[in-house]
Amino acid sequence: MNRFQGGYAGRILYVDLTDGTLDSRPLSRVFAEKYIGGRGFSSRILLDEIPAEVDPYSPRNVVVIASGALNGLPMPSASRLVTATKSPMTGALGDSISGGYFAPELKYAGFDAIVITGASKEPVYLFIKDGEAELRPAQHLWGCKVHETHQRIAAETNDEDTHVLVIGPAGENLVRYACVVTDKESVGGRCGIGAVLGSKRLKAIAVRGTRDVKIADPPRFKKVIDDYLISIAGEAWTESLRRLGTPFLTEHRQTLGIWGAKNFQSGLVEGGEKISGEVFRKKFLVKPLGCMACFIRCRRYSAITAGDSPFYTKGPEYESIHALGAKPNITDPETILRAHHLCDEYGMDEQSAGSAIAMAMELFERGLLNRNQTDGQELVFGNEEALLYFIDKIASRQGFGDLLAEGTKVMGEKLNADYYAIHVKGLEVDAADPRKQETRALTYCVATRGACHLRGNPYIDEFIKPEEAKAYFGTAAVSDINSLEGKGKMVAWSEDWVTLSDLMGICKFAWYRSRDFSMLVKRGLDMVAEAYQAATGIPMTSREMYRCGERVYNVEKIFNLRQGFGRTADYPPERFFKEPLPTGPAKGAVLNRKNYDRLLNDYYEARGWSPDSGVPTPEKLKELGLASDEIK
Amino acid sequence: MAKERIWYVEDSENMDQICSRCRMCELICTFHHHGVGNPYRSRIRVVALGKGVDIPVTCLNCEDAPCVNICPTGAMHRPQPDSMVIVNQDVCIGCGMCVNACPIGAVILDPGEGTALKCDLCDGDPQCVKYCPAKVLKLSGSAQFSKHRMKGFARLLQTQTINTETG
Repeated sequence: MNRFQGGYAGRILYVDLTDGTLDSRPLSRVFAEKYIGGRGFSSRILLDEIPAEVDPYSPRNVVVIASGALNGLPMPSASRLVTATKSPMTGALGDSISGGYFAPELKYAGFDAIVITGASKEPVYLFIKDGEAELRPAQHLWGCKVHETHQRIAAETNDEDTHVLVIGPAGENLVRYACVVTDKESVGGRCGIGAVLGSKRLKAIAVRGTRDVKIADPPRFKKVIDDYLISIAGEAWTESLRRLGTPFLTEHRQTLGIWGAKNFQSGLVEGGEKISGEVFRKKFLVKPLGCMACFIRCRRYSAITAGDSPFYTKGPEYESIHALGAKPNITDPETILRAHHLCDEYGMDEQSAGSAIAMAMELFERGLLNRNQTDGQELVFGNEEALLYFIDKIASRQGFGDLLAEGTKVMGEKLNADYYAIHVKGLEVDAADPRKQETRALTYCVATRGACHLRGNPYIDEFIKPEEAKAYFGTAAVSDINSLEGKGKMVAWSEDWVTLSDLMGICKFAWYRSRDFSMLVKRGLDMVAEAYQAATGIPMTSREMYRCGERVYNVEKIFNLRQGFGRTADYPPERFFKEPLPTGPAKGAVLNRKNYDRLLNDYYEARGWSPDSGVPTPEKLKELGLASDEIK
Repeated sequence: MAKERIWYVEDSENMDQICSRCRMCELICTFHHHGVGNPYRSRIRVVALGKGVDIPVTCLNCEDAPCVNICPTGAMHRPQPDSMVIVNQDVCIGCGMCVNACPIGAVILDPGEGTALKCDLCDGDPQCVKYCPAKVLKLSGSAQFSKHRMKGFARLLQTQTINTETG
């Protein structure tokens, strides 16, 4: 019996792989109201279920797969699936959030989330259909790449509407940054979720459902849909994304000179025009795709049809081009697309793979690695063959690939070359070079899953009006891009607000992309609170909704503090303090340590965390309903 | 007035005006008719053929409709000569003969109720047309669709003529 009027499927599936038990438990209403869904569910469950001493590869580690509160409804861009665990990359809280069709399907199958513990002796896959679940043997799938695994499971279920989340050989071989892939297309890339599933010998999860996700007040929900669509229509950002997908950002990075080129040695890619979004569109685009209910349609569906090894692939994303192009300094678009496809096929995060190879290239050029260590390869920047060669070797952990499969943090430790490992908490820096602005760096560094550009939205200072800045952050200085005043508070606010998208299951591109602050508040708080109420019938003001985001962020912080990630873990890699960018429009840009210290203080203060340790104060915990007795 | 139905109209000149498999048509269809989220009760479905081919499929509104002809209770009927074939839910017994007879699979049995579901054009304001992000679904008669196809063919002829002229 579903205790909710709508929105939620009303049950959580608990899977213990050690003894093979499957237990469907009702979703608690109190829990739902406090944590909403998606990343809220996953973060709180991980905090409760994983003691500090548990190794990420231990059977006692837990993987949570969660739908957002609005997944499964005709809510624009509500497609996002949360996969979360204690990350083997960082040892901190790790999650990876992807689009596609799996999250809604999980709801149609009767579950809001799956909680996976233990480890199976033999490879298995989980099959879920309309409230029932079973573990099936997967010995015959072990070793299969992503496409093949998907096809074979789809054939076994004999139902084309089955949606499947799989790991590839990289996950089986415990490549530290192995990912999960749903329906051959949607990649939950970061934090090594696939490696943890590999350690549990869970090859896949297939899900199929035909049940309704109810809506408490359909006419009210219809109005939200219409208002939401009006709010995203005409955003310049939406148009660019449809035309070029996230690769439209390549031009932005090149123009500002803030690529992480050559392992963050340069902000410019020499020959960057050869790997622009326009080039990828012209050469490879078959058509744009949309995830479930998406009006943006940023996904690329690309193909190389000529030559010996033709393929179709979803992608590339901007991040593919950044990690497999800019970082290793590869400017051949076909190599980048091929490398991207290979990473997807092996089931590993292209961002970490590209970062590991780029770091090794720098070490090789600096003489800190030699041919004897690199399988005889001339591992220099721009070596296309070496990039493709090592993607193969990483997936199978052969030769030098075995070390590359550990990620840059471990490589830095083992090769005594920490300085060249460009990561925060163990997760490599993505998106762009933050040296130009401390606020950008702060966002990457305080992100609760390690370096991440999606955990906050520090770009607000580019467009917020002085009066809005004063009202929201207490000082008009926030509207000055060069001022640090109030920026700690701005970053904290943006994190809590962005977190809500991950609780709802709505894509960030339909969420926070606007250059009008009042629109960010309207779309990201007011409309979403309204959608939540219309769907679930649960009363929720914008203010309470914002609190839920803040609560989840604090839960994640507590998880990480318990793992020993204190203030020093919230700092950027040394390179960003020591080396000014050498060329291009951002030439000379370098982080200032004093500024960063101050910004971090302000940020902690705005959050109600102790300045020395980052520990939330008892008052803050009480305010958020996280008093210590509730935390195991 | 000519018989109307939903046509899938992609624009060969514009890569962005093509079904992108977002399934909003499915979601909005079920929402409109049943007030819930569930694409598997939708009367329009996006069929994915792979290699980037995704085609929304729904009722063709056949002139000599096999579903109407075979229906044993008269539930499946066309109220007016030019209107859409619809189901009278009070009379439908869920035998599924219409599902059998439909040459394109446009009739389904409701996973919940067990009775026949098919496109009813939402009383003249089809929601899938209204909400399709790519604007590739159109409500029209066959003449307009033919004209659209002719236009595409004419463009092709034009380029071929130009190519011939320029040698």
